[in-house]
Order: sequence, then structure tokens, then C-alpha cells
Amino acid sequence: MKLSGEYVFDGPREEVWKLVRDPEVLMKCMPGTQTVNKISDSEFTGEVTVRIGPFAGVFTGRVIISDEIPPQSCTLTVEGTGKIGFLKGVGAIEMTELEGQKTLMKYSGEAQIGGKVASVGQRLFDTVSKTMMKQGLDTLNGFLKSNAA
Amino acid sequence: MATLDHNDKKVIGKRVVRNEDPRLLTGQAQYVDDVDLPGMAHAAMFRSEYAHARILSLDVSKARAYPGVLAVFTADDMGADCYPGPPLVSPPPTVKDVVFNSRRQVPLVKEKVRHAGEVIAVVVAETRYIAEDAADLIDIEYEPLPVVADIEQALEADSPLVHDDLDSNLAAQLIQTKGDYEAARKSADVLIRRRFTIERGTAAAMENRGIVAQWDAKSESLTVWDTTQAPIPIRNGLAARLGLSESKVRVIAPFIGGGFGPKIMMFYSEEMLVPWLAIKLNRPVKWIEDRRENFYATTQERGQVHDVEMAFTRDGKILGIKDDFIHDTGAYDPYGLTTPLNTQSHVMGGYDIKNFTSEFKVAFTNKTIVTPMRGAGRPHGVYVIERMMDIAAKELGIDRVEIRRRNLIQPDAFPYEHGIIDQAFAPLIFDSGNYQAALDETLKAIGYEKFVKEEQPRYRAEGRRVGIGVLPFIETTGVGPYEGARVTVEANGKIAVATGVGTQGQGHFTSFAQIVAEQVGVDVTDVRITTGDSAHFNWGTGTFASRGAVVAGNAMHAAAVMVRKKIFKLASKVLNAPEEELELENGVVRVADIPQSSISLKDLAVLANPLRGAVEPGTEPGLEATAYYGPQYGPTAFGVHAMIAEIDPETMMIKILRYVVTEDCGTILNPLILEGQVHGGVALGLGNAYYEKLHFDENAQLLNASFMDYLLVGSTEMPRIDVRHLETRSPLNELGTKGAGEAGAIPVPALFAQTMEDALYDYNFEIRETPLNPNRLFEIVREEKTT
Repeated sequence: MKLSGEYVFDGPREEVWKLVRDPEVLMKCMPGTQTVNKISDSEFTGEVTVRIGPFAGVFTGRVIISDEIPPQSCTLTVEGTGKIGFLKGVGAIEMTELEGQKTLMKYSGEAQIGGKVASVGQRLFDTVSKTMMKQGLDTLNGFLKSNAA
Repeated sequence: MATLDHNDKKVIGKRVVRNEDPRLLTGQAQYVDDVDLPGMAHAAMFRSEYAHARILSLDVSKARAYPGVLAVFTADDMGADCYPGPPLVSPPPTVKDVVFNSRRQVPLVKEKVRHAGEVIAVVVAETRYIAEDAADLIDIEYEPLPVVADIEQALEADSPLVHDDLDSNLAAQLIQTKGDYEAARKSADVLIRRRFTIERGTAAAMENRGIVAQWDAKSESLTVWDTTQAPIPIRNGLAARLGLSESKVRVIAPFIGGGFGPKIMMFYSEEMLVPWLAIKLNRPVKWIEDRRENFYATTQERGQVHDVEMAFTRDGKILGIKDDFIHDTGAYDPYGLTTPLNTQSHVMGGYDIKNFTSEFKVAFTNKTIVTPMRGAGRPHGVYVIERMMDIAAKELGIDRVEIRRRNLIQPDAFPYEHGIIDQAFAPLIFDSGNYQAALDETLKAIGYEKFVKEEQPRYRAEGRRVGIGVLPFIETTGVGPYEGARVTVEANGKIAVATGVGTQGQGHFTSFAQIVAEQVGVDVTDVRITTGDSAHFNWGTGTFASRGAVVAGNAMHAAAVMVRKKIFKLASKVLNAPEEELELENGVVRVADIPQSSISLKDLAVLANPLRGAVEPGTEPGLEATAYYGPQYGPTAFGVHAMIAEIDPETMMIKILRYVVTEDCGTILNPLILEGQVHGGVALGLGNAYYEKLHFDENAQLLNASFMDYLLVGSTEMPRIDVRHLETRSPLNELGTKGAGEAGAIPVPALFAQTMEDALYDYNFEIRETPLNPNRLFEIVREEKTT
């Protein structure tokens, strides 16, 4: 399954980058995130509650950040497993500065899902992931604006 | 309506309402899930989420400790009892250069899972809820492996292997030839080549699978209620697996809410597990499959890719056909070559084809196991040949009905020997047929000429796209090895009949009763049929291959004839009249000219089983007989379907305006039941044409494992079906019957494609795949338009 999109943040690129790399902030932004543990600067583990269609469950996951070029781009490798299925994905993030202290984030990735979420929730996965992404980025943007204020 | 010659029959062929319906409609029929035993425990299966992965670690300790859990078993816990099921169909046929690699499923997977949904552990608990919750606590770590999801890629040299001990994913390979295709193609005016793709669906029986097993330690006997189509082989196999005498194992296949093929397996993992658990725990154990499990774990069918070439003369005469195809067997191949052999048997359709060559390769993939599903390879063959006939008609500029007429096997050519083998490894011989008559009947019924000449031009002038399709099909049916039946006149005057085949809604309690009533002279409602209980009948193979009416039916008939003889012999003695002067009707034997000299079957049954006196040497007590029937090869039914449908080219939504089926399955036992079979078959066929498709992703994850996403044909999609009957009796058996169980489904995808091409006459496209859906058809029409 492919996932891609873009988002414009109301803040400079360095600020956005700083927030994205802060596990505390990420935890608040990612809907359903229960815990985030920093293993190293580029590796985090955590638990996320996900609801897709008829299924809800906790995913235990790991995020590895690689190919990092601050504050421009990085690659995210995500792995999650739970009682309702599994998810594996690789995504790329790229940020460019826009005029007026704004930042454009482009993201694209490919995820492999299996188990119950795949068999019954597939039809909803696209919408759910887009909604979660939008919610998360909106929250992040909120932090950005309140930090600036 | 064609003439039905029933003058000599009193009961057979009559539109008798079904004996079983009062029980079914008032909720009095017992299904497996109705079995509720004291102390019964419940099993839940822990299944693989991956299609292909190595199990690195498995920890069931938390599940075991969960309150209410009785036991959790893994492959390690099962030890030596965890070994594969037997091959259901063996050995491979003795065709030259045949390849067959037998790989069968195990009760519990130990090292490597080969499709999503394979069972890795089983939890037994006081309730199903507890068992499911505990199964959620099992910790497992997988090493995901590259997945074999595509049947063509499966056979490429660099493909990952489903079975590591094999050099490739080739499960089987077999070539059959007839005549000399190479010579035929050299003399052809026209050669046509195409590729066709057929994809998977599921049977979607209303009732999922289920098993209840009860062990009686004192008598060391096991009773199993199982939604199987083959209770006797399951009994025999379970006894062998569990080291029990066959007489100590009773398998009951009670009422079953639809079989359609997938309910015959030797064995499903759960079928091996649940009886084993009942003995191990000394408690009754129940497992009922849920719908999502059914999507993963119950066998499926229809994945094939065909590369076809056909040689024609300019006037449309077929010189030969070459069809090479790949057949998807899924992760294992317990059912041997039945399905691809059926495809080969049907790829010449009902046509007189002298030169034929076909090679199939069977591929292992990381998908659910493939075994026959209503149609069982036949729809593929019919799809290929009928699509090719449509394409040839267009290329040669011959009317599509006319090109078929020129090639159909003529009535005087039967028995028509193909010189290849069929699914049962018997010679493929079409015993009898009258294909032209079925075609003519259908054309008349649908009003072909009037539609093409008057109605269609009018529709087109109005801008409506309404198409017509007409095509014939054949169905090989009624294969061996055998079935048996026992008929008994009981002391209450009722007739008890038992047979080993199971019943899944085919109306056996009525059509079999009609066969017996015909001979024994009682009302159909006075014949009580018992099917699928090994305690009632000890021998049999099962319900499959459209064989009930042929194989069990003729065994029934033979036993009933024997009982009739016994009745006449005893009555002759009692009434003091020669047998020729006796009549048997309404449960009474009377002397023809002296009505007051009579005796009821009830009294006769008592006399046949005396409490005093002596049974004469060389005779048996009772009015009872057991008989068996096993055909050398099966009879071949045939028919023609026609459809008029309208399609909206913007939405590709369809409306079927008329649907006609002419079915000829030899002697009709009960037209009402036969029409029901045809209706059900057409429903599946329409599903296979335009609705039902299992979507797997590139990792062989099933993406539509629920009825929210897997689209079944509902009553609103079903057209009214006009069923016409012809009766070309089979010369192979006494009753003259042929099977009809799968017929309805077989020609529909090909018919649908023809109809759509005719409806969308102003678009230039060709349909070469099934199932379609509105989206996909839109794409095909657009793709071809732009190229």
C-alpha cells in the first residue's frame, strides 16, 4: 500500500525539524500513541492504539530514522505488530523552505500490512491512515504556532 | 417445453415438494453447531498472519495460564501425532511423463507457515470467548520470507520456494494429446491465439465449517459431528490416524448449510485436531469456524492462466486446439489433479475436435489450498473454448451461433471417445447427448432471432446497449468409485433408507425417496432417508463431482428393486397368488383381479421377520436389501445458457433482462429440485462473472475477507431464470441419470463476456479474464479503445 502527500507548516524549517525529532512532541501528535521510548537518537520504540473499521488494538512498534540530512530529509522505517495484525513500512520525508517562514513537507512511503487489519480493514486503511496523518500534522503545526507565539 | 416421457413412471420425474423442508423451515434440522454436550469444551485456532514466514519462537505460557483455559497445544506438544493428512486423491494418473509432488497440510505448523491462516496452535477452554482471548496472549516471532503470490512467477527459476525440499514450485505437470495438433495447425486457414486469466473466489457456504468430537473412554469409542461432504472416508481416516477400529469411530455429517466442494478434505487441520483433543482431554470439544477463518482456511478455487491456440478452416470448422495452462494449487495439493484434469476435459467443450494437446503445470503458491469448488475446473475449460469460439466467429465473419452449430458433436456420434483421461483417471467418453436440440430449444425460448432482428436494432436506435449471449456447455458428472444404499421395509410400514453420502441441501431426502418409492409402492413421504452417518451405512465415498443422483441414486434404485422382489416373493406366498398377478401400490400388495386379497407392507414386514418358526435356508429375514453402484466412467450432462442484458457504459452497471437455461441431465428425478440446483449454480456463476473475487496483495495477504468487501450475488442481482428440460437418458446406468449439481455455474462467466461484448457493440474490446467487475470492465473497454 502506498501513502503519500504533502503538508505546509506555519513555521521555519529548522523549527519543524526540531519538533519532528522530539519524541515527546511526536507522542502528543500521533493519535493513539501510548508510549514512546528513545533507544538512540535515531531509534524509537512505542505503543500505539489503532482503530480500523471493526478492529481496535495496540501496536507495539519501532521507528528507525536513517539517511538523515537535517533539516532537509530523512527515511523512516516503521515496524509494528499487534493482535490485530502487523505493519511494515518505509517512508521518506523531505522538507523545503517556502516564502513567509513556511515549510513544505512532502512524504511518500510504502507499507505492507497483514493479519486482521489487512483482511477486513484494507478498504478503510487508506482513509484511516490519511486521517491520522492529517491529525498528527495539524497537532504538530499547532505546537509550532504556539512555540512561535 | 420439451416433452418429458414419464408415462411409465409414477414418482420419478414428478415435481414433489421436499420432504426435508418442514424440518429445515421450522428450525428442527440439526446442524453441527446445534450439538451441545455436557462438559463440552471449545477450541480456538491460533493462525498465521504471514503468508510465508519461519517461526522463530512461540510462547504459549500466558495463554496456558489464562483462567478457564484447559490446554494449549503446539506442534511440539502434539509430538509424533502431528503429521500430514493423507492424500485425498491418489495416486497420480499413469500418464506418460507425469510429475506429481504430493505435499499435504499438517494439524499444526512447526517451522514454516505457507499461507496466511495456517494453524500454529490450538487453545481449548471452557468457552469460545476464553479460548479466543487466550489465543491473543500467544507470543510469536516470525522471520518473514519472500512470498510466492503469483502463479506465473511461482514457476520462474528465481522464485522463492513454498516447499524448501523441492527444486521449484512445480507441484505437478501433465500433458494430454489427441490426434495430431501440429499437423492440424499446418493445414489451418486461420490460427487464433489468446491468453486468458481466471482468478480465485470462495464458495461462501452459508454455514461455515464445524466439528464436535466426543470420546467415550469406557467404550473407547469416538463420535464426531463434522460438516464434511465425505463422512465415511473421514471416519476411516480418523480411525487410522487415532489407532482406533473403524467400528469404534462414528462420523455424522448432519444437515449442512452448503458444501460446494470445499467441505470435502482429507483432512483439514481442524478435522485432525478436534477429535485428537477430545481423546487427549477426555472431554467433548467443539470448534466452529468463523467467517474470517472461512476466508483464509477453507479451500478455494479458480486461479488459472491459459495460453491457447486454435486452428480453424475458413468456414469455421475447428481443426484443433492447443491449451497450455498453469493451475494454482495454493500451499499444498491434497486433492491431486482433479481440478486441472477437469479443465482439460472441458476445454474441447461439446465440440467435435479431432486434434488436441494440452499441458498443465500446477504451481505451489503461498495462498490458501485449492480444492474443487462447484464447477471444479470445468468453468475454466468452458470459458476458454467459448471465448475462443466468439473470437473465431468475429475473425471469420460467421454468426456465433452458426459457428457453434457447425462444430457441435452430432447426436449419432455418441458415445464420443476423446482418448484422454478425466478427473477420475477414467477415459473421457461422452456417453450420450443431443446438443443441437438444447441449442434450438434455448434459441427459441430466448427469442434469439426476433431479438437480433427486431428488438436489438430498436434498442440501439434508442441508444441503449442491450446484448444477447448464447452458448453451450458440457458437464462430466457422476464418477466412481461407488456408492451404496440399504432399503428396509420397517414393521411400521415405512421405508428406511441409508446411504453413505452426506447431504448439504441437494434435496436428497426427496429425490432419493422418489427413487425408492417408485419401486416399493409407497408415498414419497413414507420413505425416510438417512445420509452421512457412518453408524447407519458403513461404505461410501462422498458427495462431490455432481454424482449423488447418478451413483448413490442408482445404488438406491438397485436396492429398491431387490426389496420389491422380496416383497413380491413373500406376498405371493402369503396371498397364494403368482407374482405376475400382484400389484404394489400405496403400501399394499394386492392380487390384480381380487382387490380384497391383499396385504399391507407393514404386515408383510412383520411376517418377513418372524419370532417363531424357521427362516428358510438360503433366505434372509426382513424385507431389506443393500446394493452398490460404481460406474466405469461418468455420464456427461450438457445444456445451453442464454442471456439478454443491458449495460450502462458509464457506470458498467448491468441489468439482466432475460435468462434461459436448457438443462439435459438425463432422467430427471424431480424437476423442482433440479431447477433449484440450476438457480443456485447460476447465482455462483454470475458471482464468478461479475462480483466475486478474492483480492490478494503482492504478499498474498487476502484483502477482502469479509462480506463487507467480498461481493456475493444477492436476490436483487438474480434474474428470473427460465429453466427448460430435455432428457437424453444416460445409457450407462439403470435410471438413465446424469449429474446437475455444478451445471448452473459452469458456462456463466463465458456467457457473460459474450453478452457484454454484444451489448457494448460500438466499443472495440475483448474480454479475456474473469471475474470482472464494473470497474475492471470499464478499464478493459477504455484500454482497448485507446490502443
